[in-house]
Amino acid sequence: MNMNVANSSTTPLIELDRVSKRFGGLQAVADVSFSMRSGEIVSLIGPNGAGKTTLFNLITGQLQPSEGVLSFEGREIGNLKPHQRARIGFGRTFQISQTLTSMSVLENAMIGAFLQEKELAAAAARAQHALTLVGLDHAAKRRSGELTLGERRRLEVARALSMNPKIVLLDEVMAGLNETEVEEIISLVRKLNAEGVTFLVIEHNLKVVRAFSQRVLVLNRGQLLAEGTADDVLANPDVIEAYLGRSGQ
Amino acid sequence: MTAASGRAFDGAAPSRSLSNYGVVGFRVELLRLIVAMAILGLIVAFYLGDTFTLNILATTFLFAGLATAWNIIGGLGGQFSLGHSVFFAIGAYVTAGFYMRLGVSPWFALAPAAVLAAIVSALVSFPVFRLRGPFFAIATMALTEVVLSLALYFESVTGGARGISVPFRRGFANMIFTDRLSYALLMMGFLAITLLVLAYIARSRLGYELRAIRDNDRTAEAAGINVVRTKLIGMAISAALMAIGGGLYMMYVRVADPPTLLSLFDIGVKVALITLIGGIGTIYGPLLGALLVVPLESMLRATLGGVFPGSNLVVLGIILILTALYLRKGIAGAAEGIYTRIRKGRRT
Repeated sequence: MNMNVANSSTTPLIELDRVSKRFGGLQAVADVSFSMRSGEIVSLIGPNGAGKTTLFNLITGQLQPSEGVLSFEGREIGNLKPHQRARIGFGRTFQISQTLTSMSVLENAMIGAFLQEKELAAAAARAQHALTLVGLDHAAKRRSGELTLGERRRLEVARALSMNPKIVLLDEVMAGLNETEVEEIISLVRKLNAEGVTFLVIEHNLKVVRAFSQRVLVLNRGQLLAEGTADDVLANPDVIEAYLGRSGQ
Repeated sequence: MTAASGRAFDGAAPSRSLSNYGVVGFRVELLRLIVAMAILGLIVAFYLGDTFTLNILATTFLFAGLATAWNIIGGLGGQFSLGHSVFFAIGAYVTAGFYMRLGVSPWFALAPAAVLAAIVSALVSFPVFRLRGPFFAIATMALTEVVLSLALYFESVTGGARGISVPFRRGFANMIFTDRLSYALLMMGFLAITLLVLAYIARSRLGYELRAIRDNDRTAEAAGINVVRTKLIGMAISAALMAIGGGLYMMYVRVADPPTLLSLFDIGVKVALITLIGGIGTIYGPLLGALLVVPLESMLRATLGGVFPGSNLVVLGIILILTALYLRKGIAGAAEGIYTRIRKGRRT
C-alpha cells in the first residue's frame, strides 16, 4: 500500500501524451497532453463545445483516441474497454445523470459496489457507506426515479465511490444544484481528497473551481489553452478571450 | 490506510442483514418459491382424477417454465428475444435423436441438449447483441426463420417436414407415461427448476448486473460490468433451460415437426407475451401469466375451436391489449403495487 504513495511521486496517476480525437472532419480533441499525480484535484474548464466531455470519454474509454498515448500508473490503457478501466480504478459520473430507474437508491449504488464485493450483503453495506458519504443514506430504500436532480447527481457520485476508485471523474455534477447542495459536494470532494482520492472535474461554476482545484486546465476548441492555479488561469487574457470573445476591436 | 491506498474507501463489514437495506436475498426468495410451488401442488392434488385438467396443467407448467427461462435474458437482461423457439427446438431434436438413435434415456439427453443450446445461443447472440431494442427483436425473429429452413432441409436430423414421431413405450426411463398426472408433475418439476435458477440469478450479482445493463448499458460498463459477457451468460442460461423444456415437450407430445417446434407465434412470441402479461423482469410474473393465458387458451380451443377457429388468438390479443392499457407492469407488478399500498396504509 505504501508503495503506491512512493510511486505516485514519480509515476503520474494518469498521463495523456498528444491525445487527439476526430469525428469525421471535426477535430474534437487535438494534441492534448497533461498528467495528474495521485491525490490531486484538477478542474477542466472551457466554453461549450470545447471538447471537455469528449476528453472525459477518452480517459474512461467510452471513446477510443484517434492518436496519442494514454497511461494509467505508467501503463498504457488506450485500448482498454470502459469496464476494464473501471476495474483498474476509474470511477465517473455522466453529464446527463444516468439513474437505473428500476432499482432503489441503494441498489443503484450497489451496482458500483459489486466491483469490489460478490455478495449482496457486502455490496449493500458498501453502497450504504457510499450513500452516507454523499448524504443520501436516508433515501436508501426509495425508488431512484423519485429523486430530485440534485439527489440523482449525488447518487451518481455515490455509485462511482462505491467502486472504490483511484480517480473519480465528475462531469458537471454541480449543474442545476442549489447553493447548499453545491457546498455539500465541495466539502465531500475535499474530504475524500484528504483520504487520498484523485479528482478530475468538469465544472462551469468558477466559484466551485476556485474552491477546490489545485490545478485548472482550460480547453478551447479541443486544444489545451492554459494550465495553472485557478487564479492564474482565470486572469489569463487568452482564457478570458475564449470565454467572452476578443475585447476592443 | 485508506489514504495510503488512494482509493475512496475500503469496504465496511456488513453489519446488518439484507432486509434492513430493503434488499431481498436468495434465502427469503427461496421461502416464497417453496410457498408458490406448494400452492401449485395443491392445485394438482385438487384435479387428481381429471385427465383433461391435468393435461392443461401440464401445458401450463411447461409454458410457465419456458417463460421463466425467457425472462432471465428477456426480462432481467432486457434483451427482447423472439427467437427462443430455436433453443426449444434444439432441446427437442437432441432429446429425440439421443433416444431414437442411441437408445439414451431422455433424462440423460437433457444435459447435452442444454449444453448445445447454450453454445448455439452464445454463438448467434455475439453478433446480434450489437443490435438494440426492436432491431435485436427483429434479428432474433429472422434467426427463427433461418433455423426453420435449415431444419426442413436437414431431413436426416429433424425428419424434415414429416417430423419425428416417438413410439409409445411407457416407462420411467423412457419418460413416457400413460397417466397425465406424471406429465403434470414432470412439468411442475421443470417449472420449479427454472424458477429456482431465475430466483437465484435475480437475487445475486449477476441479476443486478443484467438489470443494470437493461436500465442503462453505459452506466453498467462505467461501473465495471462487462456488458457483452454478462448478456452472453444470461442468454446461455436462458437457452439451456429452454432446451430442457423442449426435450420434455418432445417426450410429452411424442411427435414434432419443424414448423411446430420453430413456430414464431406458438413458442417464440408466446413465451414473451406470457411474460409481458404476467410481469416482465419479475420472478413470478411468467408463472402468473401462464396461469392466466394457457388454461384460457386451452379451454377456448376445446370449446369454441370447432365453431370459431382462432378464437383463442382473439382472446389472447384482448388480454394483451388490456394488460398494456391497465397493467403496465403485468399481473405481478399490479399485485406488488396493491401490496405496498396496503402496507403503507397500515403504517400511517
